[in-house]
Amino acid sequence: MPEKRILLKNCGRIDPKNIDTYLAQDGFKAWQKTQKEMTPDAVVAEIKASELRGRGGAGFPCGLKWELAAREESDEKFLICNADEGEVGAFKDRYLLQNDPFTLIEGIAIAAYAIGAGKCCIYLRAEYHYLLDGLKNAIAQAREKGLLDGLDIDIHEGAGAYICGEESALMDSIEGKRGEARYRPPFPPSKGLWGKPTIINNVETLSTIPHIVLNGAQWFHEIGTEKSTGTKLFSVSGDVAKPGVYELVLGSSLKELVVDICGADNIKMVQIGGATGGIVPYSMISTPLAYETVLGSGAVTVFNESRQVIDFVYRTMDFLAAESCGKCTPCREGTEAMIEILGRLATGDGRQEDIQALEDLSGTMMLSSLCGLGQAASIPVLDTLKYFRNEYETRIQQSLFLRSLRGRI
Amino acid sequence: MGKITATINGTEAHVDEGTTILEAARTVGIEIPTLCHSPDLIPTGNCRVCVVEVEGTRTLVGSCHTPIANGMVIHTRSPRVLTARKATVELLMAGHTGECVTDEHTSECDLRKLADELEGGAPRFLMRKPRWYPIEAFNPYVRRDMSQCVLCRKCISACREIAKKNVYGIAYRGFAAKVIVDFDDPLTTEICRDCGICIDYCPTGALSKPTKKSEVK
Ligand SMILES: Cc1cc2nc3c(=O)[nH]c(=O)nc-3n(C[C@H](O)[C@H](O)[C@H](O)COP(=O)(O)O)c2cc1C
Ligand code: SF4
Repeated sequence: MPEKRILLKNCGRIDPKNIDTYLAQDGFKAWQKTQKEMTPDAVVAEIKASELRGRGGAGFPCGLKWELAAREESDEKFLICNADEGEVGAFKDRYLLQNDPFTLIEGIAIAAYAIGAGKCCIYLRAEYHYLLDGLKNAIAQAREKGLLDGLDIDIHEGAGAYICGEESALMDSIEGKRGEARYRPPFPPSKGLWGKPTIINNVETLSTIPHIVLNGAQWFHEIGTEKSTGTKLFSVSGDVAKPGVYELVLGSSLKELVVDICGADNIKMVQIGGATGGIVPYSMISTPLAYETVLGSGAVTVFNESRQVIDFVYRTMDFLAAESCGKCTPCREGTEAMIEILGRLATGDGRQEDIQALEDLSGTMMLSSLCGLGQAASIPVLDTLKYFRNEYETRIQQSLFLRSLRGRI
Repeated sequence: MGKITATINGTEAHVDEGTTILEAARTVGIEIPTLCHSPDLIPTGNCRVCVVEVEGTRTLVGSCHTPIANGMVIHTRSPRVLTARKATVELLMAGHTGECVTDEHTSECDLRKLADELEGGAPRFLMRKPRWYPIEAFNPYVRRDMSQCVLCRKCISACREIAKKNVYGIAYRGFAAKVIVDFDDPLTTEICRDCGICIDYCPTGALSKPTKKSEVK
């Protein structure tokens, strides 16, 4: 299946500083159609029928989530656009924010209308501070054209924590608290920001909305696979000749993306979905990219044969341990215990029982952690243990040998 | 208020809507071990000791904060639950220092008691460095030995919800997370009155009443 430019349609063709260039490309037509021809319920039904799933990582059906919030009776509802993009190797939201902020704003307007939210908030990661002026300018221009009447769009800047991309921690952060995951239920669509019904969607999810509204759910549903409709942005980095953001129809093979388009060779493995993403070894390079297999946020990092698996896993875990919010035991203490083991393995001081301990830890973290970070933190460990177990075993054998030498000298 | 019927370990429980799984289990005589939970405090769900299995959910759920729902089928002692609970307590013990670690007969530490109940076996996990902080005894009412802290956060909740003070907070991330006062300042008499409520809620020896000089023999 080929590349297809739906989300990237305007990128490079419009001037992100000038709304007129966007209007010339059918900009805000979907928003006008919504206001003139559709009730909020009809919009929700349309998105539901398109079977669009969240592009932020979790892949929750977007229409279903909206329906939950739309049904809630409340004096106030909120819509949050998650532009925290903290995932390692993810830079597709940035590409949209930079090149086509208007589609996002249009998507926000439609989403707010559908769920009945009067206030919206874009949560922009601290590292994207340089995009703030561009975004503000785009909102101001849309407001000047009278396109955002009765709708507040705020921008809230993060302070540089990975965990604040997690929806409940993100809401804590907006409320001025320390960003930590909350337990669920209650889920955000019933009790979110300030205890009010709240919808949180990724930048890419919201940017897809206008296209669906304008072209119809049927059109969207025909693209992609049965359970993964539409196209998806991938941010490819690592050992490739042409890193960058690419848009592919869902269900396209990984090989097509990293080999044919990005020109990778000598591939050892590919990580898909960022730091907590799954690992695909080269032997499985034709795996389709879809929610049914591996996808996450669409960050694709390619590792060639020169990379050591243990070093990679150690560095990934080091990142996750540093970014763990420290609220719940399995993640706070578990990531630390994992680093102890992986650190020893990385420096050639492994022990026979290390693999078993890693597996025990992974199981508990996955089952008991409070939020997605701790639950998914062990995925790289488990996946590499599955596909590259020999590297762990070799490292342990080397460690035993090194220790026996030390004992002799 | 509606009534809820659910099955816990094969026994049917009938409780009011809004009851947590933990409370519902108690009504049918099933105890679920807890650490960071207290009936007087708003649950925070951070220790993950009270996890149980609810059929049809991907992960285990915290029983102290999850409201029971109609038709739930709950297992509080399934192999998955016991394995996870044991590892969680083991992890807490691995990062915990204090008398109870060296002296098995000290019964003051709730974590130690939990570990004994779950029959830990040989330790599987280690931390790179133990938690270590200097003892703070600047205050005649509360002595803080944060090396013993297991981050259950009950002191934070008790101070906020019962004493209505808000003296404590959390700082730093991951394993370095710590219960702090202001900007990680010492707990002086200016900040804290003498209510000592936090001490009653501390499950370990991290918070204690300082022994007065006159009492030392
Ligand atoms: C540790 C962690 C970090 C996350 N970071 C992001 C992020 O940076 N951007 C994002 O859109 N979603 C992130 N998510 C997913 C969000 O919690 C949430 O599922 C998403 O924003 C929902 O939007 P969607 O349904 O449009 O995908 C993260 C989740 C976890 C557990
Ligand atoms: S899993 Fe990790 S990041 Fe999530 S709440 Fe627990 S400690 Fe915080």
